[in-house]
Amino acid sequence: MIRLPLAIALGISLCGVAHAASTWTGGDDLPTNPLACDNTPATVAAKPYNGASVTGAPDRKGKTLTVVDVPKLIGIGYFNATSKGMADAAKELGNVNVKTDGPTKANIDDQITFIDNYITSGVDGILFAANDPVAIAPVLKKALGKGINVVGYDSDATPDARQWFVNQAQSNGIAKSLIDNMAKEVGEEAGVAIVTSTFTTPNQARWISEMGAYAAKCHPKLKFLETVEAQEDNTLSFTQATTLINKYGSDLKGIFGMTSVATPASAEAVTQAGQCGKIAVIGLATPNAMKPYVAKDCVKSVVLWNPVDLGYAATYVLRAVTDGTLKPGDTSVKAGKLGDLQVINGSEILLGAPFVFTKDNIEKFDF
Amino acid sequence: MNWRSLVRHETILALLVVVTLVLLAQRSDRFLTLDNLLNQGRLMAEVGMIALAMTFVIVTGGIDLSVGSIVGMVSIVLGVFWHDVGLALPVAIVLALLVGTLGGTVNGLIITYFKVPPLIATLATLALYRGLAEGISQARSVRGYPDWFFVFGQGQILDVPVQIWIMVVGAIVAACILGLTVFGRTTYAIGSNEIAARFSGLAVDRTKILIYSASGLCAAVAAVVFVSRVTTTRSDMGTGWELDAITAVVLGGTSIFGGRGTIVGTALGLILMQALKNGLLLAGYKGDSTIVVIGAALILTVLLSNLSHRGRET
Repeated sequence: MIRLPLAIALGISLCGVAHAASTWTGGDDLPTNPLACDNTPATVAAKPYNGASVTGAPDRKGKTLTVVDVPKLIGIGYFNATSKGMADAAKELGNVNVKTDGPTKANIDDQITFIDNYITSGVDGILFAANDPVAIAPVLKKALGKGINVVGYDSDATPDARQWFVNQAQSNGIAKSLIDNMAKEVGEEAGVAIVTSTFTTPNQARWISEMGAYAAKCHPKLKFLETVEAQEDNTLSFTQATTLINKYGSDLKGIFGMTSVATPASAEAVTQAGQCGKIAVIGLATPNAMKPYVAKDCVKSVVLWNPVDLGYAATYVLRAVTDGTLKPGDTSVKAGKLGDLQVINGSEILLGAPFVFTKDNIEKFDF
Repeated sequence: MNWRSLVRHETILALLVVVTLVLLAQRSDRFLTLDNLLNQGRLMAEVGMIALAMTFVIVTGGIDLSVGSIVGMVSIVLGVFWHDVGLALPVAIVLALLVGTLGGTVNGLIITYFKVPPLIATLATLALYRGLAEGISQARSVRGYPDWFFVFGQGQILDVPVQIWIMVVGAIVAACILGLTVFGRTTYAIGSNEIAARFSGLAVDRTKILIYSASGLCAAVAAVVFVSRVTTTRSDMGTGWELDAITAVVLGGTSIFGGRGTIVGTALGLILMQALKNGLLLAGYKGDSTIVVIGAALILTVLLSNLSHRGRET
């Protein structure tokens, strides 16, 4: 009598495992828009504003704002850098108090609870980086309904759940930068693997989809061996990268790190495996974490934007929204020392093109 | 009835809850508002439902580490049945609840028939069920549920969120079963002395299997409510909830060695945890300090309880 349920359970598990072994790209299902193979800039079509509006907001023009910043998680270099940018902007503006608080793990549930509690505590504005674009939407809509201004950065929610989103770089630009640099280092015919956070994290999934589309268009012989999940966890990223190196041996020529945690951990895995120079590591990471590997020539290019500028811009955008100087339909916004930032896709503000750190310039950055 | 019988864990905890509520209310005028309290009830309902069944599990001297993974698995299965297989959503919900219950039953069978310690059995299924959730979902989220489905996670009946009703009814049922029935007494007997319970002719294995199945069912109900609350399905849903539920149960005075514990205690433990998380944040403390305070509260209440318990035995 007990055999049957166990057999069923085992059967289901085996099906699940077999299912899991099929192609697993880690991308999302949204349409892709790969850039041209040369450096022709993309044409940006003007779209009407598609963000949300806030209801019952008091007049906050010029008044001191209490703002909470809820990133995906706290305690990692990347979000420490965005917090620093926010503090810089708040100091410059003089009438914004911004506090960063959030979960210690990139967890949808905890992030939602944090935002919910800050709505109750009565803040004027919320800055967020979403762990899931849809899961976070109900609580952000609640904030908008209570007259709180909501601006996203780094990782977006659905447009109807926030007023504006500060986009660090367009996904197709990131994809192009990563793939072009990889092809330059490992050649056109090579096996590559990806270490990402989780398959459901919106921006990583978006980049991976765009990478696939761009590679298919411009570097069709690049072979994607596998995409592995490593949360935003240092130890797990290292283990996953090591597993990839052992599993694929000489077939593996390059590893993409999709998070600021996965990239240095992958570089460390390659270093410890004695594969420096044989396996290239290219990814998104903060310069401080990558300096040792760049100095040893183990990593040649690190792709990123400046997260300090990202936090800085998000704070200026929130101030502009509450002051009424950034309205639906505007095409640019002033962001302090960053100058005028362009509005794209209806309700996104573009920070700029992705930046490639190399041995020549990495020492100039400290974050 | 002497004064010693009043010095129970639940009494100490209830006093602690009252003191905490008063202190927190003084630090923020937004804390003791009906709006906030109902909202907090909404946020703690999912872990609360899991903690009810977890009380039974721990009273038998067992543990169920797989509940968080069952939440993930049930969410995914719900999404797959509805979106990919194309079943009507109510049918998908019922099937998903059955899958969760089956997950719990498997735990119970491994523990009773193969004599695998609960810690190890559910540690294994923690990995297994999470793996299934990720494998089946292929990392794809299921979204776009119809509006009526959001009733469970976002709706209200008589101005009280639906999930609070579910949790309260669940708590009353659980308290009656544990406190008033033969099944409840069997549960305590297993936790106090399993061998003696067997010799007394109690249906030890059947009781344990039922309890682990109920644990799976409660996790499945929590999963449906959670999917409805966040309007999407992800394979990492419920990660770490097993620890939140165990914390609430232990904080509520249930002995990890079995034989002792009540639903009232668990409810108080849940309230204390949620009040600290919410109240400290409203009072202006950051999230990391609340974790420290909850850890300290856990040690403090368990110490106090042990002192009073020892006092009664001597």
